[in-house]
Amino acid sequence: MSVAAHARWRRRALLAPAGLLLAAAFVGPLLLVASFSVLEPGLYGGVEWHWYPYNFGRVLGAPLGDVEEFDAAYATTLARSVKLALLVTLVSVAVCYPAAWWVSRLPPRRRALALFVVTLPFFANLIVRVYAWMLILRPTGVLNLVLAALGAGDAATDLMYTEAAVVIGLVYVLLPFMFLPLYASIEKLDPALLAASRDLGATPAQTFVRVALPLTLPGIVGGAAIVFIPALGNFVVPSLLGGSKVMLAGNLIEQQFLAARNWPFGAALAMLLLAFVLVVMLAAAWRRGTRGAVA
Amino acid sequence: MAASVLLSITGATRRFRTPEGGSVHALDAVDLDVRGNEFLTLLGPSGCGKTTLLKAIAGFEDLDAGDIRLDGASLRDVPAHRRPFNTVFQSYALFPHLSVADNVGYGLDVARVPRAERDRRVAEALARVGLEAMGRRAPRQLSGGQQQRVALARALVNRPRLLLLDEPLSALDRHLRQAMQGELKALQHDVGITFLVVTHDQEEALAMSDRIAVMHAGRVRQLGTPAEIYDTPVDRFVAGFVGASNLVRGTWRSTAHGGGCVTTPAGIDIHAEGVASIANGATVDALLRPEQLSPIADGAGAAGPTLAATVASTVFVGPDVHLHAHLADGTPLQALLRHARGQALPFAVGARVVLAYRPAAVHVIAAQAT
Repeated sequence: MSVAAHARWRRRALLAPAGLLLAAAFVGPLLLVASFSVLEPGLYGGVEWHWYPYNFGRVLGAPLGDVEEFDAAYATTLARSVKLALLVTLVSVAVCYPAAWWVSRLPPRRRALALFVVTLPFFANLIVRVYAWMLILRPTGVLNLVLAALGAGDAATDLMYTEAAVVIGLVYVLLPFMFLPLYASIEKLDPALLAASRDLGATPAQTFVRVALPLTLPGIVGGAAIVFIPALGNFVVPSLLGGSKVMLAGNLIEQQFLAARNWPFGAALAMLLLAFVLVVMLAAAWRRGTRGAVA
Repeated sequence: MAASVLLSITGATRRFRTPEGGSVHALDAVDLDVRGNEFLTLLGPSGCGKTTLLKAIAGFEDLDAGDIRLDGASLRDVPAHRRPFNTVFQSYALFPHLSVADNVGYGLDVARVPRAERDRRVAEALARVGLEAMGRRAPRQLSGGQQQRVALARALVNRPRLLLLDEPLSALDRHLRQAMQGELKALQHDVGITFLVVTHDQEEALAMSDRIAVMHAGRVRQLGTPAEIYDTPVDRFVAGFVGASNLVRGTWRSTAHGGGCVTTPAGIDIHAEGVASIANGATVDALLRPEQLSPIADGAGAAGPTLAATVASTVFVGPDVHLHAHLADGTPLQALLRHARGQALPFAVGARVVLAYRPAAVHVIAAQAT
């Protein structure tokens, strides 16, 4: 065997475990869900195996008589999910960027400690951490107690089961996923480039906009992607902190699969969400690609 | 050369904490005047404070004491981006996300120079450094030497009062470095902007500078033209750092008219001329540059004074041969011979050699506590 062929086989062997796992645990189930989305729901759950496009019709507006009704509420729920996921992403960037900047300028040993602290929440169970937020946000919770103690009792609010609570919870849960890619790209930013910008007459603000921001954009885009997507589909946080008042796409899909036992409709909602995410991601990748070609 | 003072540095002091909790002077009361339209080099070993001084001038380092004045006005409260200086960074620090032309135009863009003028000046600056065809490339597509030219163009396009260059040639290979020495000098002459260069390379400093400030341990040890620094170093450090040198310690005995003789403890005499203001009987160092010693095989035909030595080794370096010898008391001396093509070296290891010299070529340094 030639050296090149040998190397080729070795690459394949290295890729095989991950490839097989992805095929079995991701591609297979995904195809199953995709096919369910165009099948008829069974009377007592399950599916009838024939072509049935009306699951999508209920959301997009092509109903089948009075059996599968079109309801704008589904599209509204999806739109609300996108809005809240965007908000969560923006808040996460705003919170993490300065923090990641600060950490990246620490001496190496304290930097390692700070990174450890950032990943600390992973050591506790997600549900427990979200319940902790319920203790903070409820009317008799920590937040209002602190406000009262500070003499701002009038400002006391009931944040539980509001969009604000869901955003706070999602930001909290997804923060490390924003922090780490941001940190990775800010840490690579050569301080000499910032000095060069100042030296050429740019104010600190101009330096940030013209040098720091474009050079750390990959981190922002990467962090935004891995925060936006889970925020869009998350159903634990909205169901605990938003209850029935803040219905998001994740809850809707969960309901269809579990409570309503309408697997095809749940699958159709999931495919719509997936399609939306794919379109956004491809658009971002395409923009990056065309701009990269110029630079 | 205009002798007007552009930048006046007085008592510049900067201390750093050491990890052990002590403090070291990176700059120790440095006084230095930078003149208009000159090529001034800060020369010294690493850690001598030259880079700290450059950063303090650029505005990236505060002074603990002292001041830097531009045209008489203190720069103390002027942030880096408002100082009319530009820097060529050691790593060049070109913006990787901008084209070569946009790198060069950066300073003009943030100063909101109108588009047409901006483009004209960028083109001019690129042409000046011979990169007119490279404007649309990305910096990473250029060679190291080309990247440096971009860094130069990016700084000069803003017409700074003072151009600061931090080890500008250290990242280039030897051939390119020597070519760039001449180019930098010519460029400075061309644009009429004061260049302040930091380097640890004494050859580079000698080749390019109008004046050199030799720094050591946070102080300027000597300021002068390259010839002054080379011929009449003020102390052992400067003598040893700039050029190859033979330093022989002895006692000064003066005769008439600045003439005299340095006598080593072993009784070897080195004659000198034109020595002023050194007290009789003082401990001194006699500096003999290798090229001022002429090795003669048999000792015949030497007109002036000579030193008897034994050949320790010879090293052929191309144009020259380095002859290492030692005096009777073991003091090592280096002499330089011009290589003559096809001619065998007349000096075998262990052979006796006579080193002739002119007393006027001997520089005598009072040995102070250093």
